[in-house]
Amino acid sequence: MERAVKTSPRSMNGEALSLGGITKIFTSRHNELLAVQSVDLAVQAGEFLAIVGPSGCGKSTLLQIIAGLISPSAGKVLLGNEDVTGQPAHMVYLFQQYSKSLLPWQTVEQNVKFSFSHRMHLSRTATRERCREYLDMVGLADFRDHYPWQLSGGMQQRVAIARALAAEPRVLLLDEPFSSIDALTRLDLHALLLDLWTQKRFTAVLVTHDVDEAVFLADRIAVLSRRPGIILEIIETGMPRPRSPLETHENPKFLAVRHQLLSHLLAKPESVDARPH
Amino acid sequence: MRDLINRAQNAVPGVAFIAILLSLLEAAARLGLVDRSFIPTPSDVAARTVEIIASGKVVEPLLATTLLLFVGYAIGCLSAVVLGILMGNYRRLYNFFEPLTELLRPIPKAALLPVLILFLGLGPSMKVTIVALAAFFPVLINTVQGVRAVDPVLTDMARTFGHSGVAVLWRILLPASAPYIFSGMRISLGISLVVVIIAEMVSGSGGLGDVILHGQRMFLVVDSYAWLVVVAALGFGLNSLFRWAERRTTYWVSPATQ
Repeated sequence: MERAVKTSPRSMNGEALSLGGITKIFTSRHNELLAVQSVDLAVQAGEFLAIVGPSGCGKSTLLQIIAGLISPSAGKVLLGNEDVTGQPAHMVYLFQQYSKSLLPWQTVEQNVKFSFSHRMHLSRTATRERCREYLDMVGLADFRDHYPWQLSGGMQQRVAIARALAAEPRVLLLDEPFSSIDALTRLDLHALLLDLWTQKRFTAVLVTHDVDEAVFLADRIAVLSRRPGIILEIIETGMPRPRSPLETHENPKFLAVRHQLLSHLLAKPESVDARPH
Repeated sequence: MRDLINRAQNAVPGVAFIAILLSLLEAAARLGLVDRSFIPTPSDVAARTVEIIASGKVVEPLLATTLLLFVGYAIGCLSAVVLGILMGNYRRLYNFFEPLTELLRPIPKAALLPVLILFLGLGPSMKVTIVALAAFFPVLINTVQGVRAVDPVLTDMARTFGHSGVAVLWRILLPASAPYIFSGMRISLGISLVVVIIAEMVSGSGGLGDVILHGQRMFLVVDSYAWLVVVAALGFGLNSLFRWAERRTTYWVSPATQ
């Protein structure tokens, strides 16, 4: 099986990532908006890091800067030892709006193929095999000839995950990927994602406002403040792996970290807007 | 099958109405209520149409018109899609071309015929040019709109997978704006048919427009009507072909029709 060699060694696959002094100011005709301010963050190779913060704190902006989708006003992003400019290869972005990020005119299989076929010149059979392999991982092998709009939301996000992983990223950026998925399916996808991460060991950076999700998935959690986003604290969860939807959520440590995070996020803001009820 | 029966049932009143109108016309012409030399009976027209088709006389004008229409329409649509995608995607190109297109767009293209004839003569190049011009603008406007309506998530997604700018144009923006492009092309098809007939009438060198006009000039009124039937059939056929092609390529737009 020479295929197995091509896909991935089951060893550490990820790449280290570091942000230095990242600041982003959005300027419109009438005003300037400081979205994130001098963010320093080091992500180790193969680590699962989460960034949590209240909505509008600039956490998605930060992720888009890492992905090279927008450029920072100041600071730089290093991938391994290299400056990130433009879209780095081996870095893949999983969008929140899964239904909008899939190509509706292509089948599930063609969507998966879209992530890698332009970079690797595989034969037709090898391409199909690879699509199948990744669709199989997310449990959708039987749906490869369906169109995305024929699938449920959870299945669509599975397709997006299969597509992202088929590109064999060293860094996977997750932008609130499960926020518009129903609660049960979300637990399912969490387990799936962890499973795939354990197999592939890419570096994962997850942006979310869901505290439970962050604690369940990540090893370290960076807490971002309200706008302008600055890093308030980085929490090492120390949660054991492997994790399971039932036991992990009942672990006293889980509750303690959750408590710590929520107390940050629910802390009374200086301004009166966005106060939680 | 049930769907087919349903459609047939829905079509009954409309078809019956046409049949009634035709019989009224037939009766009026036969009873001398209208002058038969101007308004011939539908049965005469039908007979002449059949004769034109059976004798093979139909082939030359029909082919000439269809060919001109096809070439001009293809050139117009293709160039409009290319420019439209670029204008929709690149703000600077848009700013550069937009005033010019807004200036040229409202001109009824048939009004350009006399000038075009000066430059290009009465031959096919003039006719192809006028059809291409007529087809161009509706497709251009719609393509620009379509490209602008594409969700940025889609283009961002392609970029994060390392697709080049050209690939984004070709593999994302073009297919994503296809529904808009098609509705522009449908408008263009109607206008193109009008313009090609007018151009043939003006140039008088073959084609359906020419034979219709010839019938009128020679006072062969039934001939004129018969050729009109042929033009109508051409329009109907092209439109059906178009709708079939549109359904096949934009199957993903309204999943309900799948």
